[in-house]
Amino acid sequence: MKSLTRRVSKIKTVPQKKRDGPGISRRSFVKSLGGIGAGTVFLSTGIAKRAAAQYGPVYTDGLSAEQLTDMYTTMLKIRLWETKIKDLILAGGFRGVAHLYVGQEAIAVGVCSALRKDDYIASNHRGHGHLIAKGGDLGKMLAEITHKATGYCKGYGGSLHITDISLGILGMNGVVGAAHLFAAGAAYGIKVKGTDQIAVSFGGDGSLQNSFFTSAANAASAWKLPWIAVIENNAFQIWVRSSDVYGTQDLARRADGFGIEGRVVDGNDVLSVYNVARYAVEKARAGNGPTVIECKTYRWYDHYGAGGARIGVDGAFGLGYRSDRELRDWMAKDPIVRFRKFLVSEKVLTEERAEEIVAEVRQAVEDAAKFAEAQPVPKPEDGLLNVFAEGSVPLHNS
Amino acid sequence: MPKSMGYAILEAIQGEMRRDKLLTLFYEYQTPAAGWSNRSINLEAEFGRTRVRFCAIDEEWIVGGAMGMSMTGVPAIAHIPSMATFIPYELMFNHAGKLRHMTGGQAAFPMVLWADMARRWAFQGGQHADAGLESSYARLAGLKVVIPSTPYDAKGLMVSAIRDVDPVVYCQYPVPSAGPEVPDEPYTVPIGEPAIRTEGKDITIVGYAPQTAEIARAVEELKKDGISAEFIDPRTLAPLEGVMPTIIESVKKTGRLLTSDEGSYTFCNCAEIIARVAEAVPGAKFKRLAFPDAPAPGAPEMLNYMNVDATRIAAAARRLLKA
Repeated sequence: MKSLTRRVSKIKTVPQKKRDGPGISRRSFVKSLGGIGAGTVFLSTGIAKRAAAQYGPVYTDGLSAEQLTDMYTTMLKIRLWETKIKDLILAGGFRGVAHLYVGQEAIAVGVCSALRKDDYIASNHRGHGHLIAKGGDLGKMLAEITHKATGYCKGYGGSLHITDISLGILGMNGVVGAAHLFAAGAAYGIKVKGTDQIAVSFGGDGSLQNSFFTSAANAASAWKLPWIAVIENNAFQIWVRSSDVYGTQDLARRADGFGIEGRVVDGNDVLSVYNVARYAVEKARAGNGPTVIECKTYRWYDHYGAGGARIGVDGAFGLGYRSDRELRDWMAKDPIVRFRKFLVSEKVLTEERAEEIVAEVRQAVEDAAKFAEAQPVPKPEDGLLNVFAEGSVPLHNS
Repeated sequence: MPKSMGYAILEAIQGEMRRDKLLTLFYEYQTPAAGWSNRSINLEAEFGRTRVRFCAIDEEWIVGGAMGMSMTGVPAIAHIPSMATFIPYELMFNHAGKLRHMTGGQAAFPMVLWADMARRWAFQGGQHADAGLESSYARLAGLKVVIPSTPYDAKGLMVSAIRDVDPVVYCQYPVPSAGPEVPDEPYTVPIGEPAIRTEGKDITIVGYAPQTAEIARAVEELKKDGISAEFIDPRTLAPLEGVMPTIIESVKKTGRLLTSDEGSYTFCNCAEIIARVAEAVPGAKFKRLAFPDAPAPGAPEMLNYMNVDATRIAAAARRLLKA
């Protein structure tokens, strides 16, 4: 694994507090890109080299071939499983909804690879990827999304509420930003329990808009909570470009006001994400408080569902609020293709093995779909249960 | 001098924090310390600042943080002041009340939202710290809402609320100390169990916390006229299933139900109670007293004209008996 060291010099973690140091400033670098837009910033290798040289430990060296292969496999699981859901939606009659995560796989896998099983994650509406990366079962997840009785939530929740407390998954959540508050609360609970766990919340660029993040960040800063907020800046809040509704473009800068370290990272590079996540995890475990990590990325599909998408074709085109060329540009930066090239060039995988893994994951996805399809639907009267721990509530419709 | 409601509540929390080493209290400014006789309770001094956290003015953190904590095995109490009772409403509506159901029974928030409630009293500057908000919480599925009227109930209901694995909204109205003495040791008042404050046969009167003193005085006035009123304090406002049989039995006996709310008329909590009795007791007669659908003015001249009091309750009872 000696050759990995070379790769590590490409880690693109740029602590922005020092961005105006010697050499090219980030601002002028962004300008030099020709005003592509804040959501599409891609950091240059030159900056990244300096970043790796100047800032912080490099953790990617320690990843074994097995761990690297697992990361690749998990990214594929997310990609192919969600692509299957997209195709199922387009085929019609799908028993549920989905906010697809495709394009952002490097973030879920990079962050969750740095966590322990007993660490917590609180997820959001675009959260399938986080759950798979934390160990969620593809069959049980699809059963839940299609509201089957044997899904994670017995069909009560569906896509937006998949939860598995035993895996530290505090749930997906339909209310944008709430995950930050609950993860910070869980982090306070860790302090009360006196354990060395971590609580991570995932939110999009829109999750900084309402006040949940503010309350979470203030508390986490005041009491040095083991909290990490991962902001997946995929450029859009629902159907509006975030740069149209934000005065600040690097969202990690919002952490500054709370006295929290904010990092910006290339969200399409799984090793960069892993490295900064691992840094934040080590810091938090040592009792040194929270970190906000902004991951620049792009979502391949629409806000929800499969609008603009076609069966068997990647990406959603022809959406009025973004350009197809911009999407193609980002699809050329496919985090999985990029990571696979790296693994092959580093001789972690051969092309053949990399392709075999694709076939294996494809099979696992087909198995999951068959499993979900075969699962029973819930009993109607069970809707009256689980309102409280005990008993049922009365029916009033007759 | 009996224990005050405030002291009784702190005694309940103190006992439960000794019993459960993880139970944690977040509060905004209401120092959790009180004295009674030659004794005193100071929760922060006893349990430390991590478990008794002065959070200052951030109701979303106090409630949302407590929720996140409680979801991961650390039961929590979130104490918010009366002018901020509605700020955590979204969290309670969309998360606290729904988590168990939407996760198929897998996850829950074993937390207590300890909400200070305000009276409609003069010179309070109290337009923002308002009465009647309990009915807004009581209509949210998955939440239990309790509302003690006496120090004895306050302690027993707080112990029950803390031990309950479901989220409980604990509404604390400032009420005068009355009722039975508060034992030193922990005890529970079961959630969902009403109290018959006065037994009677001519008319049933229902009201709780802020109205209990006025109703009790009205019952005494009516007694002078030879009217025997039965006064029932629901103590729990949600779920009502446990509370209703006692009230329904009473109205079957008396044929008349008078309710009194300090909160505003429309959707006051007793409106729900009347609706349920109407479905169960054909032919019964009803009267609902409440504050008008208006903000509470600060000047006592206006406020007293609009408020319900003992005299008005007694007069309404006499009219209902003639109807």
